[in-house]
Amino acid sequence: MAETLVLIELDRQQVKRPSLHAIALARELGGEYALLILGSGLDEIAASLVAYGASAVVVADDPALAEPLADRYASVVADVARQRNVKTLLGTSSTFSKDILPRVAALLDAPMVTDVLALEKVDGANAYRRPINAGSMLATVKVDGDLRVLTARATAFEAPTADAAPPCPVESFKLDGAGLPDGMQFISREERISDRPDLTEARVVVSGGRPLKDPETFERLIGGLADALGGAVGATRAAVDAGMAPNDYQVGQTGKVVAPELYIAIGISGAIQHLAGIKDSRIIVAINKDPDAPIFQMATYGLVGDLHQIVPQLIEAIRQG
Amino acid sequence: MDFSWSDQQRELLDAVSRFAKEQLDYDMIEADRNAVFNHEAWKKCGGFGIHGLLVSEEYGGLAQDPITTVGALERLGHACKDNGLLFSINAHMWTAIIPLVYNGTEAQKKKFLPGLCNGSLIGGNAMSEPNSGSDAFSLATTAVKKGAKYILNGSKIFVTNGPIADVLLVFASTDKAKGAAGISAFLVEKDAPGLDLSHKIEKMGVRTAPMSEVFFTDCEVPEENLLGKEGAGSWVFTRSMTWERGCILAASVGTMQRLLERCIRYANERKQGGQAIGKFQQVAGKIVDMKMRIENSRHMLYQCAWAAGHRKAVYLEAAMTKLQISESWVKCCEDAIQIHGGYGYMVEYEVERELRDAIGSKLYSGTSEIQRNIIASLLGL
Amino acid sequence: MKIVVPFKSVPDPYAGAGEAAKSVINPFDEIAIEEALRIRERGEASEIVGVTIGPPAVDEQIRSALAMGVDRALRIDDARALDPYAIARILRALIEKETPQVVLMGKQAIDDDSNQVGQMLAGLLGWPQATFVSKIELIENKTRLQCSRETDGGIEVIAITLPAIVTTDLRLNEPRYVSLPGLMKARKKPIEVFTCEQLGVSVAPLTTTLSTSRPPKRSGGTRVESVEELMVKLKQEAKVL
Repeated sequence: MAETLVLIELDRQQVKRPSLHAIALARELGGEYALLILGSGLDEIAASLVAYGASAVVVADDPALAEPLADRYASVVADVARQRNVKTLLGTSSTFSKDILPRVAALLDAPMVTDVLALEKVDGANAYRRPINAGSMLATVKVDGDLRVLTARATAFEAPTADAAPPCPVESFKLDGAGLPDGMQFISREERISDRPDLTEARVVVSGGRPLKDPETFERLIGGLADALGGAVGATRAAVDAGMAPNDYQVGQTGKVVAPELYIAIGISGAIQHLAGIKDSRIIVAINKDPDAPIFQMATYGLVGDLHQIVPQLIEAIRQG
Repeated sequence: MDFSWSDQQRELLDAVSRFAKEQLDYDMIEADRNAVFNHEAWKKCGGFGIHGLLVSEEYGGLAQDPITTVGALERLGHACKDNGLLFSINAHMWTAIIPLVYNGTEAQKKKFLPGLCNGSLIGGNAMSEPNSGSDAFSLATTAVKKGAKYILNGSKIFVTNGPIADVLLVFASTDKAKGAAGISAFLVEKDAPGLDLSHKIEKMGVRTAPMSEVFFTDCEVPEENLLGKEGAGSWVFTRSMTWERGCILAASVGTMQRLLERCIRYANERKQGGQAIGKFQQVAGKIVDMKMRIENSRHMLYQCAWAAGHRKAVYLEAAMTKLQISESWVKCCEDAIQIHGGYGYMVEYEVERELRDAIGSKLYSGTSEIQRNIIASLLGL
Repeated sequence: MKIVVPFKSVPDPYAGAGEAAKSVINPFDEIAIEEALRIRERGEASEIVGVTIGPPAVDEQIRSALAMGVDRALRIDDARALDPYAIARILRALIEKETPQVVLMGKQAIDDDSNQVGQMLAGLLGWPQATFVSKIELIENKTRLQCSRETDGGIEVIAITLPAIVTTDLRLNEPRYVSLPGLMKARKKPIEVFTCEQLGVSVAPLTTTLSTSRPPKRSGGTRVESVEELMVKLKQEAKVL
């Protein structure tokens, strides 16, 4: 039986919600699918995943997997895939899966398709639609062979509901932690505590560009508006490069792809690399002083003017309801 | 006739485009307002190889032919909005480097050219005087030989790069009785005793190219800094002036091309009465005129450079090229403003600056009237 | 220490509309070349080998790499539309021949956006990998690399044992520009050309692009004149507030 294995990402001992969106693609592919989690001390997390319609939740639980080091993780994922005779290995596009899954593909001698947006049928066979050239084009790709690795764009697939199915079994994958590759060592991770929602999960995203000038103004205006709306904060590459916002705020071709209900672009001219990360947002509002800025061609609503005047007014208007 | 670039030329020109786009496309409004010269961009251009395009490799140059050189400058003008920087570079190349290349002794070339090529030295030229502009050779500045030195007295005006220059090519009379044949050229270094470069002049356009009035008060110049023979100054000047006229506006052809592209974009995007303004004949006609002027300018520029590269006398071509490009440039800027309407008149839209920058081209390196005089006389009038 | 930098030719992402599409070194790979040059300039590497796969047309980008300062350049002559896994397998053959201590390459090519080759190459070679790297330091007597990685959750620091693969992110460095003197010198350096056959590798792509299309255009462009009008639109028309 063709089985699909979905790699679920964990972050600080919690399931990373967007990584569940790949389940929607697994369902579309048909057949049974299992979920796979790797880490250390996973009992509770495994239990939270039993109701997503999978045939099993496979758990690779070992202190050696406490941090997502690509050589170890890839080795274990490949072993699980081989053992279960998996035909499709699936993840959601993120730095986690992009780090690990291509390596697994090489270990499994399988081709890979990144950032799948949709499943298509071409001459009766599966093909995958994906963005290329910063999303300015879509390619339809077919894959030869029995085994393939895919990552799905979270914004292109719905989040699955957790109560749709009766609970499935949790299966522990036996592994020898000491025998895993040990050429990579975790040293540290920047811990930034924020009360704001995750950029890729937020209903509202407010992003700022270079004209915000400095980190204080960025936080006051972009952060202020995001807080008034209960939203997340994003930034352009230029704003990140200028030190106004941390790198993981970057939205675009090489940063995060977002698709919120409302995206507010402030002082963002609309380089194609940035637009690549926001074009699936439902409503886009652009505030920019240059009436010719390309962002206005894709914005649902455009307001031309000085952001330093407009944004405080907007914050005030939202606070007053 | 072959109008195509060779693969090597194209590769070089593409490298220039890329360099200019990535390194020289910076914000200009404040720099123009405050008349700030961009030292960093200057150094980048030197390191990249612009200044030394025409200079042979043994003196730190790239030994390119004139047509490749003007093609490179055109690419620079296309991407770089800092017309002042380009003006400074042109003054440096045509009025300091070229005279050295043609008239310098081995020692002078070894001393100055590598630095002038890599941008660590800034050159300029001091010819015009308060009372001698277009009547170039009636100089009041004198140079008197004393032992192993020349002593210069007088003043020069409109000295491009004056406030920032490391070395100036200064023309002075060593024998007033001989008139033009009594003029000599000197390489005056910035630390020469009695030299005062500090009197900055504020201009209407190309504001980021520093300019000053220069004063010589018993200014001492060592005799080894005489460029060419005593009395050869007017020859040194005329020869470099021909290069200057033919090539100084190469970048402006690129600038006009950029303006044209901008106007086309604007005319397609801007709508009036539900229609892109480019569909209106009056707007379209202006854009077509811009295109015609640019193509004419480009052809004259390339032809002049080609002729110069084949060791032909180009007095006529150079004067015609200078006249054609300068007048086209001003007209293109006027049209660009008109196409942009009221916005074109606003500083923020960065079209009005282009006009201010362009107007000077009808004055420097010989006014349009002087070019017409030269052309007329070469036509036997 | 020897560094191999694989790079790809891609259409110039900054070409203006209407300009003829020129090719350039993939910007992420250019960052990899720059980093290799900096490591060499610090005296920590002795040789940098640039390698690309393609027809003779990509020689222009090879000369750009040589002009930046790469010591040697190789081209694997193959004009086929290869997929990342095929490229990774070809590169493995070359890496086994060149035996570098470090392979530095861009995290993705900006035309295909796949983000796979570096990780696949690491998997094939069984080497450690550091992806999306924004900082590199050689540590422990040049036996290991300490790398900062740009992940979705922020910066992560790892140490990896050499030989290893590193893929570069945007903020690792700002590449130097190709100067004209560099370009002139590059014209005199040879480009070594190999075929897959000579490398003893036979690969066929396993993925095929069947068609491409333009994504549906967003209809946008409603201008509002004031914050008040924007608020009304967001509440009543978009119903998002």
